[in-house]
This record gives sequence, structure tokens and C-alpha cells, in this order.
Amino acid sequence: MLRGRLTKEMFYQMKQKMAEGVLPQWVLTDPDIYEMEVENIFGRTWNFLAHESELPEPGSFVTRWIVDDPILVVRTNSGEIKAFLNSCTHRGMHLCTADFGNKKTFTCAYHGWSFNLDGDLIGIVQGDRLYGEEMDRSKWGLRPVPRVETYRGMIFGNIDPDAMSLDEYLGDMKWYLDMLLGRSDGGMEVRGKPHRWVAAANWKATAENFAADPYHVLTTHRSTMEMGITPMNPNQQRRENAGTPHQVVLPHGHGINIGSFKERPEHPYQHMPESMWEMFERNLTPEQADIFCKANVMVGGVYPNLSFVSPLHGTEGKVHNYLSFRVWRPLGPEKVEVWSWFMIDKAAPEEYKEDAYKSYLGSFGASGTLEQDDTEIWARVVTGSKGLMVRNKELSYNNVSNYLMGFGKVMPDESFPGPGIAYPMIFNDALARNMHEYWFELMTRGLFDDEGARA
Amino acid sequence: MNLELYFEIQNLLYHEAYLLDHRLYKEWLELLADDIEYRMPMRVTTETKKLPDIANDSMYFHETKASLSTRVQRLYTNSAWIEETAPRQRHFVSNIVIAPASSPEELKVRSYLQFHRSRASDKEIEILSCEREDIFRKVNGEWKIASRTIYPDQAVLNVMNLGMFL
Repeated sequence: MLRGRLTKEMFYQMKQKMAEGVLPQWVLTDPDIYEMEVENIFGRTWNFLAHESELPEPGSFVTRWIVDDPILVVRTNSGEIKAFLNSCTHRGMHLCTADFGNKKTFTCAYHGWSFNLDGDLIGIVQGDRLYGEEMDRSKWGLRPVPRVETYRGMIFGNIDPDAMSLDEYLGDMKWYLDMLLGRSDGGMEVRGKPHRWVAAANWKATAENFAADPYHVLTTHRSTMEMGITPMNPNQQRRENAGTPHQVVLPHGHGINIGSFKERPEHPYQHMPESMWEMFERNLTPEQADIFCKANVMVGGVYPNLSFVSPLHGTEGKVHNYLSFRVWRPLGPEKVEVWSWFMIDKAAPEEYKEDAYKSYLGSFGASGTLEQDDTEIWARVVTGSKGLMVRNKELSYNNVSNYLMGFGKVMPDESFPGPGIAYPMIFNDALARNMHEYWFELMTRGLFDDEGARA
Repeated sequence: MNLELYFEIQNLLYHEAYLLDHRLYKEWLELLADDIEYRMPMRVTTETKKLPDIANDSMYFHETKASLSTRVQRLYTNSAWIEETAPRQRHFVSNIVIAPASSPEELKVRSYLQFHRSRASDKEIEILSCEREDIFRKVNGEWKIASRTIYPDQAVLNVMNLGMFL
């Protein structure tokens, strides 16, 4: 459904501009586009909810959001993961207000209706007297998120009951997620609670900044390289051991960037302890192990709003590896609630986990030195993108954003062992263009049905 | 607790706030003991008030003097964009209570802090309020901050980042 003042013509024009390697700037923060995104993107794709390690035992719960839908994620008595709309079926009150905890029953503070971990309505205050025994309580259980599926401990929910499976949606992204999540016995674990804060930003810009824009590191994060918080990227250092970095473009808007050394570096496997190397090699394919062994940084995204980074950082003169997952929860066209999780191999030595957590705090999360500067950049993009000239839909002011880096110039590297289209260059807009194309596909689904050829 | 000591500690906290507000971060570092533990755990929303609402396994800051020095030095480069251009910030310190600590050389100092930040032409001022628990220690005749724990009031921070020191 087209919203507000949007027309089909605007989408034709958008498509045409995208084919030229540029994107109309008004699309970024236009309120009508935002309204459409909530339904067409977030109402139809897989949204990251939680990691299984956040729900360690029966009764464990966390509360999350899919845009404005409050979601209650629980582990049931049988150990199953379930997710419900966190809203009482009686009058729609926000049922559980806690961030996390352990409970057997969720009781609404309004009229006292209560629900068990399976979402069943198990108690109505004075129920039989007021509603009669004939009211079928099974019809008034918590409304489940229509689809809840898990990959390697990562729990996703989808509001669209007809959506493709998570397995199909992730597709070849799984090969790369396996490298990050499946390298260690026991997988990864979340340490601490996710940081949450509000940034002045559009969710598309943050997702793109994280997943598809290694180019910004040179300028935005120059200070952290000068301070040694971030080791110099071998690729930009033109060091002797600089390998070929790859930007991998995958279906459904997913992708990853891998910066790497040419030969096995002095500290292979991203500075993880030597005691773990044999385990990595056992759990990964030789190709995955080789990529991880030589990697400097791995950063990417699962469309629409889950990003991840496996970097090397430290503020005490020593760098550590960790995995941060983050969700950009849209709060409006110009506002994002950032959720940032710290994850580490369950099998890592406790001392390494602690040191890696400190390195994370010094680099990403609300106080992270890289994240700080990112928040400033996102805010300035919003400030620079909402006036009449930028929002002009006829594009009279050359108000298009430039995604021409590598466009038609950088060709795929056929020798790269992983799936997807791998470009031998991470300073490249191929992945950003891929995200736009999937965005366009979701936004215009059904729009051109009656005139297929023209679209 | 004598009035003179209270006045001395209060003045030191005001002086610290002045240094931070004027971005004299290197001078601020000198107020910190070499073995300072600087922590900011997360405030969380729990199901009942009987459960602690500070998550001690979850930090925003968990710093040593070395890591704080790295953070400070970064702010003196030309590309720490949160301070380029400089933000206008105020640390309002109040509700100071001092009490003896386990060692005679140390004092427990509790204070409330309201932080305001104005960036560029933004009309809105970012606000963060918190409670701080410090240990002050006399080192060579001067009080140093040996430990600081910052307890924020919000579970979802309404500041763009924690680029400031609290």
C-alpha cells in the first residue's frame, strides 16, 4: 500500500536512479516511506529477538521489540523457546514491563488475567462468576509471534505467517554466521545485558553504516587508529602481509566484509587464545578456518536491522576479539534505539572473556570510542537530510546520494571460497546497493503487478 | 565528620566538574589514583522492587587509569568527532555525603550528578542523571579518586552516546 503522498512514479524513478548507482536522498527520512517500511519491511522479514544464552532455564524471559510491537520471549517448562505479543489479550495492556527475569506466570496489573509460559490464559479474577464457565479460555491466550525460528542460538521472529523460513531467508549468510557462531564447542554466549540507548539516526543509515561501509573507518574512526584502539587495517596499511579484503554480497540484503592478511599473521584467529585454535579448525571447514585465521575484521549485516562486528580492539595497549550483535530498532524516521550485545565463545578462558568485555566497552556499545563517533555521524546525516532541497522528489537539486564506489568497476573474485558474490575490495558500495535493492523489492511488492513489464 | 573536611571534598568535586566541563581532561586524569577502578553498571527494569535493579554483570564503563588515559588522549586528536566541534557540557554535583571508609586514609563519598550536554545548533539539551559512589584516598597529602561507581537512572539512555566522563 502506498502511503501519503507517495506515487508509483516515484518508485519508477527510484529504480532508474538505483540502476545508475545513486539513490534519491529524500527516501532516507521521508515520513511516508517510514510508515511503509514498518509494514513492508519489518512486518515481513525476520527480526532478531534474542540469543538462547539469554534464556538459560525454564521460566527465563526477556522482553524485546519489533519496531512498536512489544515481544515477550520465554523458555517454557519443556525448554522450548516461544515468543508472544507482550500485550494482555483482555484490554491490550503492556503485560510484562521487566527487561528480563524468571517467572512461571505473567499477571496483568490491570484486571489480573494471568498467563503461563506457554501463553495459556490460566487465571481470570472472578472468572467463572463474571464470564460464566462457557467462555473458552483457550481463545484468549497470549497471541504468539506467528513465526519464531532459531539459527545457531540466534532467535528470530517474523510477524508474517506466510514468510519464507529463517533457514531460506538467511541462505548463504549461514556459511558466514557459522564462522562466527559455530567455531567453538558450545557456541557463543551473551555476557551482560544489551546496552540500549537512543540515537538521532535513520535505521537504514545505521544498518548500512555498519554492514556495508568499511570506507567510513578511514575518516570517522581515524582517531581510534591513531590511538591504537583499533589496529591498522593491513589492507589500508599496504603492509607486506596485506591480503585481499572481500566484500561478500548475499541474497535478501545480507552481506559481510572481511579484512585480511595475506599469510597467517603473527596472531592468527583474531588474537583468540592459542588453546582454542585446534577447536576452531575442528569445527570449521578448511575454507572457513583459513578465512578466520587470516582475518583482521569481519563486519556485516542480516537484513533489515541486525548488524554484527567481529573486530580487534583494546584501550589498554592490547587488542582482543569479540562479537557484537546490534539491532537498530526504528523509533521514527529520525530516531533509533540501539541495542548492542557482547558475545564471546562459551569455550573461551574466563580471563579472556573479561578482557574482551573491557575491549568491547572501549570500542563499541554506548561508551565505545568508535560507536561515539558513529553516533555523531548518524546525527549529522539526519540533520543534513530533511530540508526542501534534499526532500525534493523531482530531484531538481541533484539530491541523490552517491553509491558509485566500485560500480561497474570492481569485478567478483571467482577464486574466493565462500558463497555469494565476493568482490576483492571492501571500499565498495556493492553491498549497500544490494541492501537498497532488497529494500526496493520489499517496498514495491505487488505494486507493479498490473503492469509487470514496465517495472 | 568535620565541616572543613566536608568543604574540602565538596570543593574537589566542584573542581572536578569544572575540569570536565572545560574539557581539561588531562588535568582531570591527575585527580585519579593510579589504581582507580571506574565503573558504570547498567540500570535495568526488573519485575519487582525486591530484585536489584543494578546489573553488576553489565557495564557501560569498566575502566582503569590506562584505559581512561587512552579515552582522554583520543579526545585531543583532530578526529574525535564527538568533540569536533566541542560540546557544551555541565556536570551539576549535589547531595554530597561523606563517611569514613575502612582505611583512615580513605573516605566514602556519595554524590548525585546531573549531566547536561548541548551539541552544535541542537535545540534540545541531552540530560543524564545518576548517583555516584566514590572512594577518595589521601596520596602524598592530596585527595585522589581511588574508585568511582556510577549508577545511571535510566535503563534506556536518552543520550546519543557516553562520550563524556561522569
